[in-house]
Amino acid sequence: MSKAKIATCWLDGCSGCHMSLLDLDETLIQVARKADIVFGPLVDAQEFPEGVDVALVEGAVSSYDDQRLLQTIRRRSQVLVALGDCAVTGNVSSMRNGIPVKKLLERIYVQGAAEAQAVPSDGVPGLLKQAGPLHETVKVDLHIPGCPPKPDAIGFAVLELLEGRKPDMASKVKFG
Amino acid sequence: MTRIADLSTFNTVHEDGLAKLLPPRPRIAVGMGTCGTGHGAEGVFHAFSAEIGNRGLGISLARTGCFGICAEEPLVNVWIPGKPLVILRKVQPHDAGAILDAITSGAVPFDLALCRIEEWDHITAHIKYGTGFEEIPLWSDVPFFKGQKKIVLRHCGLISPGDIEEYIAVGGYQALYKVLIDGNPVGVIEQIKGSKLRGRGGAGYQTGIKWEFLRAAQAEQKYLICNADEGDPGAYMNRNEIEGDPHSLLEGMIIGGYVTGATEGIIYIRAEYPLAVHRLQSAIQQARDYGLLGQNILGRGFDFHVSLVEGAGAFVCGEETALIRSLEGKAGRPAPRPPYPAEKGLYGKPTNINNVETWYNIAPIIIKGASWFTDTGSPRSSGTKVFSLVGKVNSTGLVEMPLGTPLKTFVYAIGGGAPNGKSVKAVQTGGPSGGCIPQEMLDTPVDYESLAALGSIMGSGGMVVMDEDNCMVDVARYFIEFTHSESCGKCVPCRVGLDKSLALLNRFTRGAATVQDLAMLDELSRMIRDTSLCGLGQTAPNPVLTTMRHFRHEFEDHIRAHRCRAGVCQDLALSPCENSCPLHMNIPRFLELYKEDKIEEAFLSVVLDNPLPASTGRVCQHPCENRCRRVGIDEAVNMREVHRYIADAIYASNRYPALIEQVRARMLPPTGKRVAVVGAGPTGLACAYYLALLGHETTVYDGNAEAGGMLRYVLPDYRLPKEVLRKELELIEAIGVKFVFNTQVGRDLSLNEIDAAYDAVFLSIGTWKEAWVYLPGTELRGVIPALPFLESVAKNEPVALGKTVAVIGGGNAAIDSARTALRLGSGVTIIYRRERKDMPAIPEETEAAEAEGAEMVFLAAPHRIIGNAAGGVQAVEVVRTTLGEFDSSGRRRPVPTGEVIRFECDTVILAVGETVDLDFVKASGLKIKEAGTIEVDRYTLETSRDKFYAGGDVISGASNVSNAMGYGKKAARKIDDRLMGAHRFGQLLPEFDYDKSPPSCPSGSGRHRVSELPALERVKTFAEAVAGLSPVEAMEEACRCLRCDARNGDN
Amino acid sequence: MAHQISIRIDGKLVKVSAGSSILDAALAAGKDIPALCHMKGLSAVGACRLCVVELAGVGRLLPACTTPAADGMSVTTVSQKLTKYRRMILEMLFAERNHVCSVCVSNNHCELQALAARLGVTNVRFAYSYPKLSADTSHPRFVLDHNRCILCTRCVRVCAELEGAHVWDVMSRGTGSRLVCDMNQPWGASKGCTSCGKCVQACPTGALAEKGWCVEEMAKQPARVSRLAVIRGGGQ
Repeated sequence: MSKAKIATCWLDGCSGCHMSLLDLDETLIQVARKADIVFGPLVDAQEFPEGVDVALVEGAVSSYDDQRLLQTIRRRSQVLVALGDCAVTGNVSSMRNGIPVKKLLERIYVQGAAEAQAVPSDGVPGLLKQAGPLHETVKVDLHIPGCPPKPDAIGFAVLELLEGRKPDMASKVKFG
Repeated sequence: MTRIADLSTFNTVHEDGLAKLLPPRPRIAVGMGTCGTGHGAEGVFHAFSAEIGNRGLGISLARTGCFGICAEEPLVNVWIPGKPLVILRKVQPHDAGAILDAITSGAVPFDLALCRIEEWDHITAHIKYGTGFEEIPLWSDVPFFKGQKKIVLRHCGLISPGDIEEYIAVGGYQALYKVLIDGNPVGVIEQIKGSKLRGRGGAGYQTGIKWEFLRAAQAEQKYLICNADEGDPGAYMNRNEIEGDPHSLLEGMIIGGYVTGATEGIIYIRAEYPLAVHRLQSAIQQARDYGLLGQNILGRGFDFHVSLVEGAGAFVCGEETALIRSLEGKAGRPAPRPPYPAEKGLYGKPTNINNVETWYNIAPIIIKGASWFTDTGSPRSSGTKVFSLVGKVNSTGLVEMPLGTPLKTFVYAIGGGAPNGKSVKAVQTGGPSGGCIPQEMLDTPVDYESLAALGSIMGSGGMVVMDEDNCMVDVARYFIEFTHSESCGKCVPCRVGLDKSLALLNRFTRGAATVQDLAMLDELSRMIRDTSLCGLGQTAPNPVLTTMRHFRHEFEDHIRAHRCRAGVCQDLALSPCENSCPLHMNIPRFLELYKEDKIEEAFLSVVLDNPLPASTGRVCQHPCENRCRRVGIDEAVNMREVHRYIADAIYASNRYPALIEQVRARMLPPTGKRVAVVGAGPTGLACAYYLALLGHETTVYDGNAEAGGMLRYVLPDYRLPKEVLRKELELIEAIGVKFVFNTQVGRDLSLNEIDAAYDAVFLSIGTWKEAWVYLPGTELRGVIPALPFLESVAKNEPVALGKTVAVIGGGNAAIDSARTALRLGSGVTIIYRRERKDMPAIPEETEAAEAEGAEMVFLAAPHRIIGNAAGGVQAVEVVRTTLGEFDSSGRRRPVPTGEVIRFECDTVILAVGETVDLDFVKASGLKIKEAGTIEVDRYTLETSRDKFYAGGDVISGASNVSNAMGYGKKAARKIDDRLMGAHRFGQLLPEFDYDKSPPSCPSGSGRHRVSELPALERVKTFAEAVAGLSPVEAMEEACRCLRCDARNGDN
Repeated sequence: MAHQISIRIDGKLVKVSAGSSILDAALAAGKDIPALCHMKGLSAVGACRLCVVELAGVGRLLPACTTPAADGMSVTTVSQKLTKYRRMILEMLFAERNHVCSVCVSNNHCELQALAARLGVTNVRFAYSYPKLSADTSHPRFVLDHNRCILCTRCVRVCAELEGAHVWDVMSRGTGSRLVCDMNQPWGASKGCTSCGKCVQACPTGALAEKGWCVEEMAKQPARVSRLAVIRGGGQ
């Protein structure tokens, strides 16, 4: 039997959700028996592969790169999971949304910088007007809220999905 | 001034008032409601005043309110003793002299007269003005007033609202007098209950029952409130009622106070109604002065005070609990009920609130009795209701009709239908709390229950008519924007829910919505309706829910086709002309290219949008012109003729082959896919053209010997010369479209054979079968259907046409047949069962036929065809029809009168419509709709059979050439999408280089018309009857374009 | 004392004194109907609409907090439709302002969060509004953060009805509604505020908080305020 493919991805977030994922402890072994992790910060893969069964996406959609990557993930994944508050609600990443992008960057990279006062332009992705949750960009199949989500909740969700069931997260997580 | 304390003083005032209303000298009264003054009535009044003074005339001059027909303001009433009261319309200050001249000679200027009133039923009195002036229609014969019953508006526009004595002269305060003398408050409440009067504010709760509650409430202080916080967009009934007749409101309230035990009345009125406020203030003062208000009213020991509070304009303050908070000096936010105001209202005291119009019904009910009132209206909704009829109707204004009157009476009989011959799409009743009722349901009687059943409400009486230029999604968005900005913010569903509804609706109008959004909008709207605190939130979703229910296809168009048919949603349309063109030609682009003297690029732009520009340039119904915004300045740009000119000029030049090469250069590489197109009419040609451009191997099958379909075989040469069509076909052949002629699919070639040989099949067989009317005599020799007749002529086959021909029908086929018969030397009579304006034919064509000598008989339905001994036609008999009720198409239904007229003739051409050849369709094994057309998915044109697409008349029923080609173009795009799995259509067009800014000063030139050959000359031959524009004219037309395609940020 | 009436809550028969609301009756029946604006001891305003219930024989939904219980009523407090609507209300509240719970002083002690968890909300389907809102930190002991205010008006009522100061009110309308101190003054400048802190304790979210606490540290005691209000005889 071929193993399922899991991909994880980290957009505009703090990586805390990935930490929580690592905190699955021995559940990781269970997961590893059933699936390979084919893409993500924990894997050395350059391009998001085709035919992913479960994609766990952390972080809000904040830049044009995030937007493109998320759309690719959506096209190439069977099930897309919004992992953690930034992916589910925008959370801290969206706290900048009331401020125009230009003003925001100037405040940080010009007024806030001790030296080399300039807004970086080369090699960095452009920021979207507002950062937002995944489901405002693509269809999301499952939400696992939490900042970060509890390892138990992640483990439950992943194992259920690998079994081909849609997990009922209502009792496993706390929204907001 | 007299303080009325008994019958004799009352009578004295009554007599004084009558002497003012019907003085022994002429009287002029200028309608000076807000609508009148807005149209300049002040100036008219002063002109009369000055002129009367200058001339020293013995003429009374008064101010009055509005008589209701706002579209005809300023209105002026003229009364000469012994004569009827004449209402003059659209009077200007400079008319004053002539009017006074006429009056001094005992007449009125008839050209300004709208109607005359011989006697008037004020309900509480009857005024006889006089007789004469029979040239002027009686008011009740004017379509706008026909059927109206003025109970609420009984005095409006007739008496002077600033003079209490005139009010008393027409029976005012008699009801109050009677109630106080009788001293039987319970009896009065019983009477109101018996009348079944329901609250006119919208909720429709029974007034008598509400009064009974208040009477039963025990308190040292009770309040009566009149809700005059009228705030619905498009509604102004209450304003005009108060402006025209403030005392009726006061009388109603004083009676209400007496019978319920309230001693304080408060009128909560919009501060934005300064004239109404002013009229009420002076009415209150006068009523006090005459002893009708305040202490010891009419000397009967009853005290009642009325005060006025001006609301600051919050819509929610029309909600009774919010209104009470506002009166208390608090923020106008609703409170939960219970407790109801009848228990705990203003300052915690029992309170009754009624709408302005409710109070106006009180005095008439008391004077005439409950059963008199229930005689009018429908069983559960008695009496009348005033509506403000606005929007897309010819006559706007205030209309008072018995409840239960069908909506179509308002829209068509009174309003006169939509202006500019457009069709009515919906009627919005009840303002932001109401809903949209579709045209098909205009039979609905206007009463509380019937409107509620359709998801709307009667509301306070706003009635906004919408036509084809209104986008129902945008209408819903507009109303939600309104309620969203007027939500008080207290409860979550209304405050946040409407905000989210608006966000969703904005996605629709931007073309960004999804099917999930539609489901969410529905769920959200229901939730807001079911859980909101007050009436505002509970009814705010109605416009969305009703438009989603009755106009779901418009929402779907916005989602699936990114299309706003009405062209209102700017993000979804390039320009109104492009949006209305079935081929979506980029009209501003080719106009601009031609304007920049780039005729070859202009031709390329045209021909890549439309492969038959010269043919359509001659015969298209030009929907683009109906939407052209240039109409706001003078007339529509003659777009059709410009592309005809561009095409004709290129075809006539030696550049055509080079341009064909340029089109070929746009072709996408061969895909190896094979597509069959069945039918070489305009639909099939358009489809094949684009399929070939997209790189598919395309074969067109047709039963005829040449391509062109109806363009080739039905349209007569004088409209579309065959060589024009041939020239256009060169291009289609040049890009590799293969034609297989004399091969009828279904007969010579089975669908299964085609299915096996091709990757996709497009069916566009058109409507070649003539519909048949079953009349006695249709079997006679000499009775011929229009299509075969035209076809025979087009094929140069001999036709047996007599000397006198009767053509039955009113469509393009009828006119084409008539004009063809004229050219063959026959005399022609066209017989049509409706009126001229109802004819589906292009109006220019009808006019041309008439100029060429065709007789027209309207309102005549064929009855039978009489034969002669030889089996030929002797005559046709028609029944005169008269116009009856409006039918579902908004036209009056022809009703036979029984009067039979006979036309001697030897040929009858039946042109009563065309249908699809059902035999072929049935044999095709495809799903067929009830109308006998092939069923397809509206958005993809896919039929029930895989790989098979259909378009044109075969799915829509007989239509016109541009609609047909539009389907062909769309089918090519959809077939390509499916075959190639990608959207490639856009790649066909090159980048055109042209100015994308609007002209800073568009040409002031008027519209250029094409020139026709003289009628008597052209009728002799089949030569083309209409010459195109000259190069200069075409250039000027291009310069007239306002460039609606320009956007901010372009350039 | 008012006479007793009988009412059925989700099939269970309870007796309550006349004049009780459906919400009171439900509590007596052991049913905790979700609510945010309601607070025992304060007047009921029916603003959050979470407590809507179905009443046998009545077509529309009724708010339990402001609808008086009547003899013989049969009330349903939980149904598919009610849960759907209640979830939507919570989602709307989350989407309306910037509740960034992970950095909120009341995180894990928040009534809005608790209800979301209880009703199984896992995401917000409405577009977030992201309004630009301020926080009023002018008071020496307390802070008002508009980003977290749900306009339940508990603070308004507790201040007016219990403390008798009426420092708080709501200005403007619709989505522009804002909690204001006095006539829209900074809280620290209020002459009327007694700094009693009842508003802070009554606030169901982190909108009103004490200074000096960090994320997750502000646990409030609305029940104590409520008891005090009941003792004073409020909410009738």
